[in-house]
Amino acid sequence: MGTPASVSEQLAPDFQLNVTLEQRRRSAAPSNGRVDFPPMNTTAPAGSSSTENDQLDVSTESDADRKARFERDAMQYVDQLYSAAMRMARNPSDAEDLVQEAYTKAFSAFHQYKPGTNLKAWLYRILTNTYINLYRKRQREPLQSHSDTIEDWQLAKAAEHTSSGLRSAEAEALDHLPDSDIKNALQSIPEEFRLAVYFSDVEGFAYKEISEIMNTPIGTVMSRLHRGRKLLRDLLSEYALERGLGTPAAVEGVKGTKQESAK
Amino acid sequence: MKDCEELGDCPDARIEKLYDYLDGELSHKDLVEIKAHLDSCAECAKEHDLECVIREVVKRSCSEKAPTSLKDNILERIGQLKTAGH
Repeated sequence: MGTPASVSEQLAPDFQLNVTLEQRRRSAAPSNGRVDFPPMNTTAPAGSSSTENDQLDVSTESDADRKARFERDAMQYVDQLYSAAMRMARNPSDAEDLVQEAYTKAFSAFHQYKPGTNLKAWLYRILTNTYINLYRKRQREPLQSHSDTIEDWQLAKAAEHTSSGLRSAEAEALDHLPDSDIKNALQSIPEEFRLAVYFSDVEGFAYKEISEIMNTPIGTVMSRLHRGRKLLRDLLSEYALERGLGTPAAVEGVKGTKQESAK
Repeated sequence: MKDCEELGDCPDARIEKLYDYLDGELSHKDLVEIKAHLDSCAECAKEHDLECVIREVVKRSCSEKAPTSLKDNILERIGQLKTAGH
C-alpha cells in the first residue's frame, strides 16, 4: 500500500465512468412508472417524523399535497445523501447526479412509502439501488463481488494490529490524520464494506436498517462491518505512520507485517 | 483485548462484541455487563477508545455539504414530474 494519493490513483481507473450518467440514464434507467420501492420494515426513529403523517391516507392525497409532503419530509436529507453519494460515486459531479436521480425516483415512488416508517432509510435504499443500477451496470456484477477478493494477508495484517499493545498512542495518531487521508482510506476498501461502515458509523443505522438498505441478510451486514472496520483501521494506522504520527514501536510493528505479507 | 477473555474466547469474537456494544445492538443486560467490564479493564478500554476515535474521524471527514444548486435542481426536476400512483 503506497501513500494515500497513490492508493486512490491506483484504484481510480477501475471506477472511471466511460459514459456520462446522463447517457446511461437514457439507456438503462427504468422509466419513472416502473420503480418499485416498498416501505421499510423498520419504523422511524422517535421524533423523526411528524405526527400528522401517522394518520395520513396516501391514497386520497392530492398531487400538490404529496409534493409538499415530499419537500417537507424528504428534502431535509439532501446533504446526508450527497455525502453518502460521495462515498459511492467518488467525485462531486457524479455524486450530484446520483442524488438527483435518487430523489427523482423517490418522488415517483413516494406513494409506496408508508408514513411512519423510516423515511431516511428508505431514501438511502433508493440511493444505493440507484448507484448499483447506474454505476455498476457496466461491470455487470453484483455489489458483493469483491467480498472474496481480499487477500488473506490483508486480514491477517489487520488482525495483527488488533493485537498490538499501543492503542492509546495509535488512537492519538489516528485522531490527527487529515480528512483527506480518512476519505482515501475509506475509498480504498471494497465498496460493500465501505458502504456498510459508512451507514453504521456515520449515519448510525442499525444492522437491520443496513440490511434493508443494502438488500442483504443481517449476518452479511455484520461480516461486512467486521471486515471493513479491520481494513479501515489498518489503512489508517499505515497512513499515520507515513505521516510520522506513529510511535517507533508501532513503526516496527507495521514494518514486520509488511515483510511478512511480501513473502 | 489481546489477552482479556472477558468479552469472548477469541479475538474475533471479542472485537465483534465490542462492535455490537458500540453499535447499540446489545440487550440491556449485555450492555450493562460490557460497560462494567470496560470500566475495570484498561486493555479493553483502550480498544474501545480506539474504535471510538476511528468512528469520530470518519464522521468528521465525511460530512460534505451538498452544493446549494443541488436542492434547487432536484426541486425543479420533481416539479416537472407527475406523481405516480393516481
